Amino acid sequence: MTIILLAGALICGILLSAQSSVNGAFSREAGTFESTFLTLLTGAMFLLIAVLFFGKGDIAGVLDAPKWQLSAVWFGVGFLFLTIFAVPKIGVIAASISTVVGQLGAGIVIDHFGFFGGAQITFDWQRGLAIVLMLIALRLIYVGNRKSQTAKDG
Amino acid sequence: MLIHIDNSRNKDVIKLMTKIWVYVLALLAGVSLSIEGAIYGVLGESIGKLETSFYNFAVGSVIIGVILLFFGKGKLSYSKRAPKWQLSGGILGVIYLTLLVYGIPYLGVGLTMISVIAGQMAMSMVIEHNGWLGSAKIKVTKEKMMAVALMFAALLLVF
Repeated sequence: MTIILLAGALICGILLSAQSSVNGAFSREAGTFESTFLTLLTGAMFLLIAVLFFGKGDIAGVLDAPKWQLSAVWFGVGFLFLTIFAVPKIGVIAASISTVVGQLGAGIVIDHFGFFGGAQITFDWQRGLAIVLMLIALRLIYVGNRKSQTAKDG
Repeated sequence: MLIHIDNSRNKDVIKLMTKIWVYVLALLAGVSLSIEGAIYGVLGESIGKLETSFYNFAVGSVIIGVILLFFGKGKLSYSKRAPKWQLSGGILGVIYLTLLVYGIPYLGVGLTMISVIAGQMAMSMVIEHNGWLGSAKIKVTKEKMMAVALMFAALLLVF
């Protein structure tokens, strides 16, 4: 089960990367908010169909869910605005590397304390080493991007 | 020569210091993503996975729709002329978020994010290397290959 879910998370990353290229191409002509709006709206359409025919949960449960759980959508919107703000000032690469660092750090902290009622997974040396490896990897990506940048400009 | 290097170093440091708060905001963008994932993982357990994903897209499009009405400067009408593949962002986002809502309660936020990032970086490299999906062609470098290898090593370590 775990290995399937892990593969699923990898696929998530692959889809996310494809999505940012697709939306990037669309937003160059249509605008950033327009591109985000279209993504969310068409997504909601697909999911409405999916929920009606395959939903096993309780959609009306949204009305009873605690408000702090519903506030997750604002974190998504917040991510969008912070990104739109940061990218022109520090560049796409620096912004995405900072984002990834924040994402990883927060992920490990949330797991360790079991914040938001999720499973608690204690921080151990494997997780510490994994973070170090990820940071080295990000540094290498930064260096690699600089190299291909100068190769392109030169 | 030495003075010249020192000067540019200093300039770099000053540039970084004045921009440090932008980096902090970008960091917070990432923190937001993890918090969002953690909460949706919990919501998915109570109201259902597809339902949670639907909630995000429905309410998200209402919020962005309002913003668009007041602050939109672009052309939504481009969606009629755009090549069809450029409209696939929605379905990609749906599969992404739904898989995330399934995965997080079992894997935890940390491991989920490590695999998402590893998948993302590897795919971005493939897309850029081949110039797919309208991206500029950027060759894969040795450093980037090593980076992806390290990310998968991190993944195996935590798994």
